[in-house]
Amino acid sequence: MAGWSLELLATAKLRLEALTLDLARAPEEARSSAEAAHATLMSGMGVRGATYLVILLFIGVAVEWLYWTYAYSPLRALLATPAQTPLQALRLGLKHLLLRVSGLLLFTAAVLGTSAAFNWPPRVHELVVVATVMLLVLRLSWISISVVIAPGRPQRRLVPVAPRKARWLAAALLATMFLLAAGSFLPPIIESGHAHALHFAGALHLAAYTGAAALLFVGAFAFFGGPAARAGARSAHAPLFPRSFPLALLVAASYGVWLLNERAAAVTAIFAIVIALQIGLREMVYFYWRSDDAQPGQDADGGALPAIVLSLARFVVALAGIGAAALALDTPLSSLAESASPWVRIGLRLLGVAVLALLAHGVWIAIRSVVDQRLAHIGPVNPHEPPDASSRLLTLLPLLRVTTAVLLVVLLVLSSLWALGIEITPLLAGAGVLGIALGFGAQALVRDVIAGVFFLAEDAFRVGEYIEGSGNTKGNVERITLRSVALRHHNGPLHFVPYGALGTVRNTSRDWVIDKFNLPLPIEVESEAIRKMIKKVGEDMKADPAIGPMMLEALKGKLYRIDPGVKVFRCKFRSPPGKQFDVRANALKRIEAALKKMDLHFADGTHILVKSPA
Amino acid sequence: MRGGSLVRNVRLVSGLVLLTFVTCHLANLAIGLHSLAEMEAWRATLTAPWTRGAAKWLLVAAAAIHLSLGLYAVAARRSLVLSATDVAQLSLGLLTPPLLIAHVIALATAIAVAPGFADNYGQIQAVYWSFAPFYAFLQLFVVVVVWMHGAIGLYSWLVLKPVWRRIGGLVLPVLFAVPILALLGFAQSGQEVLDRLSSDPAWRDMILENVGRIAQATRELGELQSRAIYAYAAAVAVAFAILAARILRHRLKPVTVAYDGGARAHGRYGLSILELSRLNDVPHAHVCSGRGRCGTCRVRIDAGADLLSAPEDLERDTLARVQAGPGERLACQAQVLGEGVQVTRLLPAYADASAARAPLEWVAEPTAAATESAT
Repeated sequence: MAGWSLELLATAKLRLEALTLDLARAPEEARSSAEAAHATLMSGMGVRGATYLVILLFIGVAVEWLYWTYAYSPLRALLATPAQTPLQALRLGLKHLLLRVSGLLLFTAAVLGTSAAFNWPPRVHELVVVATVMLLVLRLSWISISVVIAPGRPQRRLVPVAPRKARWLAAALLATMFLLAAGSFLPPIIESGHAHALHFAGALHLAAYTGAAALLFVGAFAFFGGPAARAGARSAHAPLFPRSFPLALLVAASYGVWLLNERAAAVTAIFAIVIALQIGLREMVYFYWRSDDAQPGQDADGGALPAIVLSLARFVVALAGIGAAALALDTPLSSLAESASPWVRIGLRLLGVAVLALLAHGVWIAIRSVVDQRLAHIGPVNPHEPPDASSRLLTLLPLLRVTTAVLLVVLLVLSSLWALGIEITPLLAGAGVLGIALGFGAQALVRDVIAGVFFLAEDAFRVGEYIEGSGNTKGNVERITLRSVALRHHNGPLHFVPYGALGTVRNTSRDWVIDKFNLPLPIEVESEAIRKMIKKVGEDMKADPAIGPMMLEALKGKLYRIDPGVKVFRCKFRSPPGKQFDVRANALKRIEAALKKMDLHFADGTHILVKSPA
Repeated sequence: MRGGSLVRNVRLVSGLVLLTFVTCHLANLAIGLHSLAEMEAWRATLTAPWTRGAAKWLLVAAAAIHLSLGLYAVAARRSLVLSATDVAQLSLGLLTPPLLIAHVIALATAIAVAPGFADNYGQIQAVYWSFAPFYAFLQLFVVVVVWMHGAIGLYSWLVLKPVWRRIGGLVLPVLFAVPILALLGFAQSGQEVLDRLSSDPAWRDMILENVGRIAQATRELGELQSRAIYAYAAAVAVAFAILAARILRHRLKPVTVAYDGGARAHGRYGLSILELSRLNDVPHAHVCSGRGRCGTCRVRIDAGADLLSAPEDLERDTLARVQAGPGERLACQAQVLGEGVQVTRLLPAYADASAARAPLEWVAEPTAAATESAT
C-alpha cells in the first residue's frame, strides 16, 4: 500500500514538473513555431494549401446549402409547431436534431471526401482533416446544445433549466466544448509541426483544459447553486444539499486527477459525468411528466412510467459510463470475459448481478406501481355496498403483488448465483429433496395454499363479502393471504380460517337474497283484504325512493297456515344481499301502520280461547 | 414616396453589375485550369473591358452606390433583429471594402509605375505565389467574402421569383461552380508560374525588379490606403450610430402586439410587427427576412390599423402582387406606433419561397389554418 502510494506520488511529481517546464518554455516555442508556420505559409506551398482549403470550404457550403434548400422549410415548420407536452417537445427536438445533424454530416462528408482528391503540400492534409473534425465536434455540440437547452424557446426545452439562465448556460457549455476541443485537437498539430514545439503544445493543452475546468467549476455554482434554481425546477422535495457543491467537487476532482495523472483522467471524468447525471437524472426524467397546472408542493406523477424510465435511465447511464471507461482504458472488451485476473472476472460477475438487480427492480417497480395505482383507484372496500367487479381486483391484486415480489426475489437470487458462477443445479436438486421433506411436514400448508388457489380462481368469495364456511365460521372477508382468509364475525371476533378448513363456503353476499317473515293475525280477519293490504304496502315500498332500490321483487303475502285462533300470513320479498334486514324492518313498520288503519291488530298469542260450539 | 422601391432596385442593379464583373473575373481565372496562356488570351474579353472607358466608370459607380446604399440600409434599420443569413450578408458586405482597397490600390499603383506589368496574369500570379504570398491570402479571403455576399444576395432575390422554378436547378450549381473552378484555375496556373520561375531566371529577375518598384510606390500609398480605411470605418460607425440612436430614442416607449392564437409580443415604439414577432420568438413567416419582397409575412389587421405607419409604395406593390385582401399589411413594413394593435398571421410560419413565387396557392391555406387554430 505504501509502495503504491509512493509510486503514485512520484508519477504525479514528474507530471507536475513536466507541466511547469511546459509553461516555462512555452513563450519561446510559441514564437519559434509561429515563425515556422509563417515561413511555411508565405510560400507557394502555403498559397496552394490555402487555395485548396477555400475550395473545400466552398464545396462543403455548396452541399449544405443544397441540403438546406430542401430541409429549411421542414425545419421552420418544426420550430413553428407548438409543443403541447414535454414528451411532444422531445419528439420535435429529436426531429430538429436529425435535420440539422444531417446537414452537418453532409458538409463534413463532402469536405473530407473531396479533400482526398487534392495534391496537398506535405502534412497539410492531416491538418485539414483535424480541422474538419474539430469543426464537426464544435458544430455538433452547438446543435445539441441548441436543441436540448433551446435558448429562447422555453416550450422546447428538454432539460429543466430556468428560462433566464438558458442562454447563459448554452453559451457556457459551448465555450467549454470549444476549450476542450481546442485543448485536444490543436496540441498534436503543433507537436507535429516543423518547430516540434512540444512544450508549447503541452502549455496550450494545459491552458485550454484549465479554462474548461474553471468554466465548469464556476458554472456549477452559477447554474445549480442555491434555492432559486430549485424553486424554478418546481421540485416537490424539501430543499436538499445544494447540488452545486458535489458538481463543483466532481469538476475539481477530475481536473486534479488530470493534473496529476493524465491517463487516469479520462476514467475519472467519465465517472464524474456519470455521477453528475445520476444526481440530476430524477429531475430530468420527471421533467417530462410535469404538468403545468400542478401546484408547487404537489408531486406531479404520471404513474408507473417515469419510475420505470428513471431506473432504466440510471441503468443506461451507468452502463454507458462503464463502457466509455473501458474504451478509455483501451480494454479489449471481447477478451475481458476470458481474462485471467480474478478481480476482473469478479468485477464482471458483480456487474452482471447489478444488471439483474436493476432489471428485477424495474419489473418490481412497474408491477407495484400498476397495482398500487389500481388499488388507489378502486378505494377501500365499503361493507355497506354490494361487492362488485372491482372487489375481485381488490382481492387478487395484493396477492399478485406479494406473489410477484416473492417470485422476483427467488428468480433474482437464483440468477445472481448463476451469474456469480455458482452452480445452482445441485442447489435446486437439494431444494427438491428438502421440499419433499418439508412437504410431508407441511402437508396441511400445501393443502391450504392449493385450496386457496382454487377458491380464488373460482371466485368463491371476495374481500367484503359475508361467507359461512363449514365448522360454524362466518363473517365478512377482511383479508386474504396465501394460506388463510380472515373473517370478521358480525359480533366482532376475527376468524383466521385456513383454506383447507374452509370446506363448503356459503356466500350470502351474491346477487340476491329472499327474506320471509310471518304475520300472525286474529282468525276473524278477512284473508283477501290482508293480502291486498300487503301487496299495497309492497307497491308503496317499491315507489319509495329510499327503500325501492333495495327491493328486487315486491313484497307479497298470502295466507300460509291457520292455527287455532290465528291466521298466519307469510310475506316474502327479494332484495340485494345485506339489505334484507332494513327492508324487513321497514315492511313491518308499514304493515303495522296499515293494520292500525284497518282497525286490526296482531293476534295475541298468549291466550287462545277456544269456544265450544255450544 | 417612391423611395423604398427605388433604393431597393438601385441597390439590386448595382449589386448585379458588381456580381457580373466578379463572375467575369473569376471565369477568367478558371480558364487557368487549361493553361496560363489561355487565361491570358481570354483576359482581353473577360476582364480587360472592365478596366476601360464607360465600363470602368459603371463599375466604380456601382461599387460606390452599392456600398453607400448598404450603409444606408444599416442606418435605416430599426433594430438588430437579423436572421442568420442577414448577419452573414451584412458582415460579409462590411468586410469587403477594406479587403478590396488594398487590392485596388496595389493594382492601380502597378499600372502607374510599371506600365504593362500588371496586364500579365503570369506576372501577377508570380507575385502572389512567390514574392508576396500575403496578397494571395488576402485575395483568397476576398473571393470567399465577395462571392458569398453576392451568392446570398442573388439567391435571396431570385428564389422569390416564379422563374426560379425553371432556372433554380441551374443557378445554384453555377453559383458554387464559378468560385470553385476559379480557385482551381488559380492553383493550377500558380503551379505553372512556380515551375517557370525556377526554370527561367531572366523572367524571374524582371519580375523581381518590377515588384521592387511597385513595393516602393505602394509603401508611399500606404498612407492613402489607411486613410481610405479610416474613412470607411467612420462611415460604418456613423451608420451604426444612427441605428443605435434610433434604438436608444425609442427604448422607453414600449408597445405590444396581440396575435391570433393568443400570443403577445412586446417591444419598442417604431419596430415593425415582424421585428416584434422575431424579438419575442413568435412564429412568423418571413422568407425575405423583412425586405418587403416576398409577402409571406402579411397579416390581417384586426384592430388598431390607425396605429401603424402608412404603407409605402414598396409595400403596396408587394401586396398587390400577392393579391392581398383589404385590411392586410406586410408585417415587415408596418411599424407599430401605439398600443392596441391586433393582427392575424395569414401564412403558416413554415411558408417558404414557394409562397412568394405562387402567392395564390397559399391563399386558401391561412384561412384553413386560422379556423383550425380557432377551434
